[in-house]
Amino acid sequence: MRDVYIIGVGNTACGRFPDKAAHILAREAAWAAVQDSGIHARKIEIAFCGHVYQGMGVGQRALKDIGLVGQPTINVEGACGSGTLSLWEAWRTIAYGQYDIALALGVENLSRILSGGPLPLEEDDLEVSIGMGMPGLYAIRASKYMSEYGVTLEQLAEVVVKSRYHASLNPLAQYRKPTTVEEVLNAPVIADPLTRNMCCPVGDAAAAAVLCSEEHVGDLAKKMPVKILGCVAQSGKYSSPTGLTCDPSENVWRTSQMAYEMAGLGPEDMDVAEIHDAFSIAEMMVVESLGFCEKGEGATLIDEKSTWVGGDKVAVNPSGGLLSRGHPVGATGLLQTAEIVRQLREEVEPERQVKDAKVGIIETMGGAQPAMDGITCVVSILGK
Amino acid sequence: MSEDIFRQDLFSTDDEGRVRLIAGYCKESDNWTFPRYLADPVSFSDDVEERFLSPTGILHSFTVVRRSMPEFKVPYVLALVDFPEGVRVMAQVETEDPDSLEFGEEMAITVGVIKKSPDGTDISSYKFIPLRECS
Repeated sequence: MRDVYIIGVGNTACGRFPDKAAHILAREAAWAAVQDSGIHARKIEIAFCGHVYQGMGVGQRALKDIGLVGQPTINVEGACGSGTLSLWEAWRTIAYGQYDIALALGVENLSRILSGGPLPLEEDDLEVSIGMGMPGLYAIRASKYMSEYGVTLEQLAEVVVKSRYHASLNPLAQYRKPTTVEEVLNAPVIADPLTRNMCCPVGDAAAAAVLCSEEHVGDLAKKMPVKILGCVAQSGKYSSPTGLTCDPSENVWRTSQMAYEMAGLGPEDMDVAEIHDAFSIAEMMVVESLGFCEKGEGATLIDEKSTWVGGDKVAVNPSGGLLSRGHPVGATGLLQTAEIVRQLREEVEPERQVKDAKVGIIETMGGAQPAMDGITCVVSILGK
Repeated sequence: MSEDIFRQDLFSTDDEGRVRLIAGYCKESDNWTFPRYLADPVSFSDDVEERFLSPTGILHSFTVVRRSMPEFKVPYVLALVDFPEGVRVMAQVETEDPDSLEFGEEMAITVGVIKKSPDGTDISSYKFIPLRECS
């Protein structure tokens, strides 16, 4: 297996862009990533485009507008993990020697299909057809988690306070206004105990990364290349009902353990993390599944400000995460990737730059399939 | 009026008049799933038969959904219940008082309205009900 490097990243801002079709957003991100890499677009040999709701051939429609035609372009769907599934596809085609230079792209325009409210799920899924939406599912998890570990509503709200603070320093984030625990708790309840502000927004964006093989990185990289130390994708497993059924924690744990092993590193080596905080409860559960703390201690990390930029542990979601930077489904994984690459290059705004960041981790969790621990989990570890 | 019942294949009434969920049981792995799958996910055997789950299970967790898809009238209670066979099932809860629900309490199965069709017809299906509220 060959080493693979990210030599360019690009993304649009996150927000509501009903006037911009998905392929318009995607071409902007792809072009920005190519420009950032400094290579000629024609050198890209294969492209992958992650999305969920954007219709036929969105990758091809986007890339033709920047002259990238003829090469294989594969549209990739893995629910909310579609963006990092696209990254994983680009990584593996290079790692296993099929191509040398690949583009990973992710895009979503949700504003065009949704004015607000929960993400549309598959109506033919049994649980969806009896009333399960993503907020309801995460709310059920939150209720259980709070009762098991004595977590308070204020602690759930504090996750959002951290998220908004980081996003306030990120010009590309969707929600940039700092908030307070009171404001988060006073928002309308979507599904007890989750208020609207504890749920990620409806939004649009695209993001992309240019990857190349170790043989080409010396010739091609204009900026500091970032090495992909580990990259693992796992579908949900049939999960034991006596354990954490319907709970993606098991999948995140399993996938991250494989990624750590591939990288030869452990959670203690991570300086910065971009994780899938679609709802505030998710951040608490994911930091545990990634091994940053023991089970039940996710809230403590927030209380102690250990996971804020400048905290004494790993900085979690310096971009603002899904809650505040935004969660344009198919773009999310590559927005996370672009953030970690820029953190490692020390290119982000000084107030949210993680000092001496050498290794970063990206965790994306796609979908909810009851009796399985999620649809797709992708964990990547990047280093300089 | 079969069009008013959602997934009638998933529940039935037993000899004692109790509503029961119909699961899949694989002898080879002694594993249960709800609903029944084509092949058992533990043994990969397709020798899976339909059997009733126990009439009651234990409330694992729940939420009161206050914003949902248009066909669902909010608020409603959505819960996960653990059955003794090792199966965790999601369904809506029929209850007079959502505030009185407690983790770990015993839940039975009933049939009640879960949503409306686009033309406004009530659609019923299996739901949980606290055993203490069963008449």
